[in-house]
Amino acid sequence: MERDAILRDVVNILYDMIGDWETDYQGQIGPETTLIGDLTFESIDIVQLGASLEEHFRQEGLPFEKLLLVDGRYVDDLRVDQIVAFLDEYARP
Amino acid sequence: MNRTLLIGIDGATFSILDPLVQRGIMPFFAEFMAKGMRAELLSTPNPLTPPAWTSLVTGRTPGNHGIFDFLSPKETDNGIYMQLMSARDVQCETIWALVSRFGGRVAALNFPLTYPIQSVSGYVVPGLIPLRHLRRAIRPAGWYERLASLPGVDVRELAMDLDREKGGIQGLPSEEYGDWIRLHIRRERQWFEVLRSIMRTDPCDLTAVLFDGPDKIQHLAWRFVDPAYFPQSPTAWECEIRGLCFDYFRALDGYIEETVAMAGPDCHVFITSDHGFGASVEVFYLNVWLQQHGYLQWGDSARPDTEEGIFARRMKTQYGLLDWTRTVAYALTPSSNGIYIRVAQRPGQPGIPPEAYESFRTELVNKLLAFTDPESGEPVVKRVMTREKAFPGNHMHKAPDLTLVLRDHGFVSVLNAEAPLKRRSEPKGMHRPEGIFLAAGPGIKQNMSIPALSIIDVTPALLYSLGLPIPSDFEGRFPAETFADSFLWAFPPFYGEATKPIRSGFAPELSRTPVMEPEQEEAVLSRLRALGYVE
Repeated sequence: MERDAILRDVVNILYDMIGDWETDYQGQIGPETTLIGDLTFESIDIVQLGASLEEHFRQEGLPFEKLLLVDGRYVDDLRVDQIVAFLDEYARP
Repeated sequence: MNRTLLIGIDGATFSILDPLVQRGIMPFFAEFMAKGMRAELLSTPNPLTPPAWTSLVTGRTPGNHGIFDFLSPKETDNGIYMQLMSARDVQCETIWALVSRFGGRVAALNFPLTYPIQSVSGYVVPGLIPLRHLRRAIRPAGWYERLASLPGVDVRELAMDLDREKGGIQGLPSEEYGDWIRLHIRRERQWFEVLRSIMRTDPCDLTAVLFDGPDKIQHLAWRFVDPAYFPQSPTAWECEIRGLCFDYFRALDGYIEETVAMAGPDCHVFITSDHGFGASVEVFYLNVWLQQHGYLQWGDSARPDTEEGIFARRMKTQYGLLDWTRTVAYALTPSSNGIYIRVAQRPGQPGIPPEAYESFRTELVNKLLAFTDPESGEPVVKRVMTREKAFPGNHMHKAPDLTLVLRDHGFVSVLNAEAPLKRRSEPKGMHRPEGIFLAAGPGIKQNMSIPALSIIDVTPALLYSLGLPIPSDFEGRFPAETFADSFLWAFPPFYGEATKPIRSGFAPELSRTPVMEPEQEEAVLSRLRALGYVE
């Protein structure tokens, strides 16, 4: 799967997730969009996003720790393009 | 399949229910106990919602179904990664999937770890799901709109609010007690409305609902529900809060009465809890104790707790409590009451060398058992279980290396503090192993009390009630003493193949399994003919 296709899928999943959330975010979701800063994600939302990504890409047990843990610390936020790069590396069929 | 009703009451305990029945607050429970039977129901080794309900719906112990807590730590090259448990982590077939595989339909409302749901025919509204994800979590897909439109249902209250939940366990300001209890009266009403809608419009073979208010109310307001702790000369506020607690249990009694009436006289009804409840009077700061013994180092954000807290409000804060580069043993969550020991897989990695594991663990056990209350000199840790002892099975390696039972059965605190032991300013409710089992319906003994059952004995009873074979790999026993001998003779329990292995978390097609072999079916029919049940 090409990166653009992964990006399209991730963006669609995010739109589906936040569809009925009460957020003030008015912009389009794109590569630079951040989960926590822009989309008001909380940690439990990131867990749910992980489950949705695994379901969509039919890949169980994706190593999300490689995305969320950097140098032994949890990241402060995540950009959409970081998720796409992660999936490009680990979610290939 | 025979219609069967399972009513879960999270945290229900006879030590609270019996006095409420005696006071006339739960008249239906009084009637139900008189026309059915009762037993204490012993929970999983660590009496906790996720492992205990998972055991009840799989018939397997935590070492085999793989659920020990809300969270599970994963040792990675980058540090400890904390995973939130979901249905994907349940490693055994659930009764929801099993009934569906035999061609039946289920309604499972508010049970934990039922999302993402797989291979189930019927209705699933998962428990412990935040509002933001509830719509996508419900099955059948699209049923959310119907649920949200039911009279009196407010999905914002029905869904889990994590901050609200944490407040209920850690403690709330006194002015918020009333709202907390009233919220749970409304929530139970809403779960009842959802249940009623399904039972009236599309009844299922197995209908199951979990009322979780007793757990939430008893954590916060134990001293108002336990007669032993209610003051002799209460203030007006204390009377008001106790009155609200009584209102809650009165309402619950009413919803259960209506549910059982809807199910009809031919339905077997099982009422169970996942664990019991009792008073916790002190806080044992386990990570402080580990730090004092040189096994753990605090991180930058670990300021001493001053409020009898047991966990950090945010997962990230929780993670930042420890200096992971200098920690070899730690408690991750209060709810597991467990200690994880880090074993270095290569030189330079944090942890003890693999060959030192046994001696290190024994040393920890001995020191924990030797820890005493500085005031009384009494041991604080009543028992320490190794995971081989507490959680044998294929997934034992995911369990804490050690699980503690404290003298007051409290949850440990994972926070920093000035000293490892602190007396609570007022008692809080915490889990106990002794929950409840009640059953009534055709062929169930009446007005009978039997010795304690194990939580994994309930699953064979449910399958028997449904008329399904009891899988050979169930770890509990079929509680035959629940049923009259004549009923057992007419409808003997039968055993079948092992449950289906969990191969993948992604929705496989439902494959149907016949309930009985032809010769088994003929044998049952001949007994029924002999008794005049069928022609």
